[in-house]
Amino acid sequence: MDDLSLERIEIPGPTLASLIQRASSSPGDVDGLLFGQIHRIASTTLSDDSPAEPPPSSSSSSSDQIVATVTSFISSGKTVSFYDPLGRVDSRRIDSLQLGSPDRLLGWFSARRTTANRPSMRELAVASSLSSRFQLPIENSESPNSMPSSVFILLTTPLTDQLIHTHEYRAYQFRPLNRRLEPRSLGIVNIGPAFRGHYGSFNPKSGFPPLLCEVSSSAMMNEDRDEGSLSGKKQAVKDQKEVDALADGFGVGSLKRLVGPEAASYTGGVEEMYERMLAKVESLASEVEKSSAKVLELDNHNRKLRYRVARIER
Amino acid sequence: MAFEAFPPLIADQLHYLLNHSSDSIKIENVRSGNRFNPRILDRFTLVIPYCLDAIKWDVIYNSEYPSAPPDFIFGPDDEDFMPCSSTIAPVDSLLDKALSEWNNQDSTLLLVLIQGLRDQYVAYQRKRVGQVDDDRVKFEISTVLTRKRIEMQMTSGADKPEEVKFAVPLVMDMSVNKLVVGCPWKNEQKIYLQVVYPILRKYESAPSSPRLKLVSSSDLKALFSVVDVKLPPWMDGMCLAEYLPHLEETLERQILEAVSAIVVRRSFVEALTLFLGRPLEADPTFCRKASFLATSGPFPFVVHFFFPTQFPKQQPALMLQSCQHLNQLSEPVKLNLLTDYPWSPRWEVGRMAERLCDFLTDEAVNFKKYCNEALLQH
Repeated sequence: MDDLSLERIEIPGPTLASLIQRASSSPGDVDGLLFGQIHRIASTTLSDDSPAEPPPSSSSSSSDQIVATVTSFISSGKTVSFYDPLGRVDSRRIDSLQLGSPDRLLGWFSARRTTANRPSMRELAVASSLSSRFQLPIENSESPNSMPSSVFILLTTPLTDQLIHTHEYRAYQFRPLNRRLEPRSLGIVNIGPAFRGHYGSFNPKSGFPPLLCEVSSSAMMNEDRDEGSLSGKKQAVKDQKEVDALADGFGVGSLKRLVGPEAASYTGGVEEMYERMLAKVESLASEVEKSSAKVLELDNHNRKLRYRVARIER
Repeated sequence: MAFEAFPPLIADQLHYLLNHSSDSIKIENVRSGNRFNPRILDRFTLVIPYCLDAIKWDVIYNSEYPSAPPDFIFGPDDEDFMPCSSTIAPVDSLLDKALSEWNNQDSTLLLVLIQGLRDQYVAYQRKRVGQVDDDRVKFEISTVLTRKRIEMQMTSGADKPEEVKFAVPLVMDMSVNKLVVGCPWKNEQKIYLQVVYPILRKYESAPSSPRLKLVSSSDLKALFSVVDVKLPPWMDGMCLAEYLPHLEETLERQILEAVSAIVVRRSFVEALTLFLGRPLEADPTFCRKASFLATSGPFPFVVHFFFPTQFPKQQPALMLQSCQHLNQLSEPVKLNLLTDYPWSPRWEVGRMAERLCDFLTDEAVNFKKYCNEALLQH
């Protein structure tokens, strides 16, 4: 495998904000996994200006840039979570952390307070172990088409209180060749015209199930459907049920009544559906609140037990 | 150093480390990484002596998970230092074992970790120095490596010139501790030669001579000051293997002289007792200090003698202290150090004492006048 160098690491603003929030709200140091994608971006030299000056003569393939994008993360809530004290990664523990995340493992992060903002002994070992055991494909690229999970983001707080800023973060890529964590610039992607270029090769990936159910009932589509296998049909029925459950008795098919002459009389029905959905969301929110309170209680209890084991008196 | 703010088990490990390490490790910059209990300290910086200099390593525990082993952050220049990223190699070293089988009840483990890391650091720096593209350094390493416990260090940086530093423990045929009767030192006293080689730049033709400096363990100062040693000159084209035996011989001779100087100082103090009576206080091991009670008529005062290591070539410094006069701060009136009085190193010890006491008799009158004046001003 080639030792490819990342041009930069990108992270959407909300993801970074939530990462910092997770780090600063945790009682102690935390680590966790980063998920995302890697793209090859062909650098274009097209311009609106007249080609009076020829672009620099570099072959297109060599000027391609490889960019990693962090799309989500999961925090373990503690340190030494998916590796041992020597920094050797345990893939079973990674699998249990990764559960349910649709994204590929891009790397990991470590957040620690009042420490120097350079990688520690164990962080280097973990990055090395992780990148030797996990890799992810490079989107829109032929060869080489995969890369190790080598991204590392370090979040720290300054050593002295005199500084104005309260958080520091740095991004690194682990290079197997010289066994080093090399600093990379961390680009923050936000919405807006200035960031339009960042979405050029972006493939959105949501946790929403692939819905096979059809709203339209044209003859053509039905014919296509008949050719599908039995399991495909079963899946479609199952998906349809899921959507129906979400809509709470409101048939997806009846959405087409929103358009055309019946629309005016039908808005009442739609509003009713939204109200029912809102009530559902509200009850869900209160349930989440209750369960979070319980989790917090358990967490505090656990902390007390841990302190007692370590003979710390509060 | 107070350790109360550390969780008890971490405090135990720290105590053990600081009390049992062969190097005098210092701890600084203690801090907390705990959000809810910022009074619980769990991270600190260790200042570890290395190559006659010090390296600073951050040690990070997690007070929320006090049973987990600590992590380390090394100096900013040592980013290539990876003591335990041997993910392929089997766990065999003491260091790896201490980390993978960490038990926070065992207070000795932090010391094991630090010692293991320091040993690896010595090897790492030696490897770095070995990679330096400089013929002289390469030659020195190949010829001097038969000596044990040499520490090397590579210093480089944007604003600093590239240099290779050696700390060579000097080998002497005797133990200084055994030479001194009633020796109070716990550790064996050592003298090191620090050699700094500037790395030759491409456009320079001849290597400049290295910078040399003697450094001794701190307790040795009571007996022998390495600052006073005149180093033999470094000839052009000389190498360390040539230089060291000569230096060691010279030092050996000088230390023997320093030990015999104790006897001279003691006999001088004994000679003083004939004139001044038994000393109030005297340093019995190295005889660097002695205090006597003296009188001039009805005026009693204390004479403090401070002996240089170069005694009797250099005369002792005297300080007179009144027993009757206090200054504004209610402290006894003292005179500044007296070093300017008749003295010859060629005199017999008895004559030295006699001449000195003659001087004291005269000086006591002046001192009494000085004290009375100080009292009047008061």
